[in-house]
Amino acid sequence: MNYESIVFLLSASILISAFYVQGQRYIISMIRGQLVQSLLIAGTTFLLSYLNHSIDLLILGLLLLFLRGVLITYLLETKVPRRKSYVFEEGVNVPYLFLVDLIFIVVAVFIIYSIIFSSLVPVSQPGTSSTLLFPLLLFFQGLFLITSRRSTFSQIIGYVEEENSLVLFAIFLLPVPIVIEASVFLDVLALVVISSVITVEKFSHERMEELRG
Amino acid sequence: MIAGTWISILLLVVPGAASVFYFREIPVATVVGAGIEEVLAVFLYWLRPPNGFFFVDSLSWVFIFMITSIYLLSSIYSLKYISERNATGVKQHTYYLLMNLFAISMLFSAQVNNYGLMWVGIEATTISSALLIMTEKSEESLEATWRYIILVSAGVTFAFISIILIYYSFGTLTVSTILDAGVRNTLFVRVAVSVALVGFGTKIGVFPVHTWLPDAHSEAPSPISAMFSGVLLPTALYVLYRIFQIDPLTSIFIWFGTISIVAASLFLGYQAKYKRMFAYSTMENMNLALIGIATMNPIGILGALYLLISHSFSKAGAFYSSGNILSSTDTKDVARVSGISKKMPLTSVAMLMSSLGVSGTPPFGTFFGEILILYSMFITNAFPQFIIVVIFLVFAFVGINLNVSRMLFGPAVDAKEPGRLMPSIAIVASLIPIVIGAFYMVVNYAIL
Repeated sequence: MNYESIVFLLSASILISAFYVQGQRYIISMIRGQLVQSLLIAGTTFLLSYLNHSIDLLILGLLLLFLRGVLITYLLETKVPRRKSYVFEEGVNVPYLFLVDLIFIVVAVFIIYSIIFSSLVPVSQPGTSSTLLFPLLLFFQGLFLITSRRSTFSQIIGYVEEENSLVLFAIFLLPVPIVIEASVFLDVLALVVISSVITVEKFSHERMEELRG
Repeated sequence: MIAGTWISILLLVVPGAASVFYFREIPVATVVGAGIEEVLAVFLYWLRPPNGFFFVDSLSWVFIFMITSIYLLSSIYSLKYISERNATGVKQHTYYLLMNLFAISMLFSAQVNNYGLMWVGIEATTISSALLIMTEKSEESLEATWRYIILVSAGVTFAFISIILIYYSFGTLTVSTILDAGVRNTLFVRVAVSVALVGFGTKIGVFPVHTWLPDAHSEAPSPISAMFSGVLLPTALYVLYRIFQIDPLTSIFIWFGTISIVAASLFLGYQAKYKRMFAYSTMENMNLALIGIATMNPIGILGALYLLISHSFSKAGAFYSSGNILSSTDTKDVARVSGISKKMPLTSVAMLMSSLGVSGTPPFGTFFGEILILYSMFITNAFPQFIIVVIFLVFAFVGINLNVSRMLFGPAVDAKEPGRLMPSIAIVASLIPIVIGAFYMVVNYAIL
């Protein structure tokens, strides 16, 4: 198996982890799905660091491992109420959501990819534009998770997925300077910390009469 | 290091230094810090840093001056307002700490010479300001905070795609270097600019990604609503403008601005809560400024700057007056507030002046800004958009002033002025746009 195949395999696994998260009703399973996804992206970053002989990518991988993998998972898990394994989101129709999800993602991604992304020439190895399909799919998957769910946890995880997709997009196309990437990571971490304050106060989000119009 | 660089650094350091007094006297330290910031901003006009880590030209200076001015007014207004409100969500000293961080993040975004770091700055404004919305910790404020966090963050994430594409196209993210290279019209640059419109547009209040805006403005404490409307949205607009300069997609931007003005004017007309009404008015003004900038001619840009700077003070005045009314009547409903001109004369004057200001009445600065923008639309041959915008500006004017008239006149409800400080700040803020308007030719000469 060559390196390109490994990159594709890892990318496909990242996508599967995103669909796994979408299919969960139990909060703890979603958090762990996000953990696996972040670890897979960290693994992909390490591989690309080796392929491109890039120290920056190595640092990025370590940041992913520590900030997204360990710290964000820890922060989210500590905010799940007691008897963690029983906390779930009510009113989630998984088969229906999957169907809508697939239609939404397939249409959105293939239109955008065929018009714009297919003509991008990645600077970093393995250097094929088809790898860009994966971050695009992950981005829309994260966006769909935010819009399709009502619980604070699900929406935070959707946001983290979106951010993961941007990391993946940058490492496949052209890694942005590490100072900026590190700042983005810290921003996301701070946002998750702020969001976790809300999770304690408000578990789910419904329409409110006061906030209409 | 030259003086300009020191001033730019100090602008970022002083609010942080004020926060050192977290456990003791942070409200006073914040006001003193904000005052120093205002002085520094004035000096920055003559002593600019050379392009390096910072990038401050005449245009960015206007935004920096706006940020420091509204920060100063809001910090003074907060002294009384926050001590009287039921601040159970965020404690008083934390409120000031977050306010200082909020100011730093906006000043950082307006000064930094790197598109990536501008994005980081805009995201940091969300982090620093989110908890401020839930200062009073009602069920509604928690929901508004959450909507603000998730909608703005998800939207701004879009903008990072734009940053990656800019880096891919130019091999650098340095603003001055990219702008010096001149306009580059390639597919990826066009995509980057368009995606930035959606991404940063979320923060600016471009339709249909504006939905966080009325919730956050109505639930945040009034001094924070003033900072949101007066300077946060313009800061995001500034960042968008810097990206727009790379490849001006005039037509797309003008159409988005026009549609957003239509939406804002329609929503504004049927609002039952006065703070939400002013939030939609902000959306309308921001999109008009977006159009002014998008015409890419000096008249349009000048008009946008006049509009933004006058609007920031007028809207701050509107939210301070709203805060006074809310403190006194404990309601945000337009229908439950009437005849306050008899009971709260100072606040009523400020409210009237502010509402006339934000709706673009002569001789307020907003009026001259609007006229210049409309004229620039005309000379850019954006005739259909021009007609639509004029019609809906009239709608917005009637909507705001009708509601404010209902609140000011008629049978008086039980209300009284909340002391002297809060109404005074509201009046000062609402009077400044008249000064800008009356001397607009002089101001024009002075700032550009």
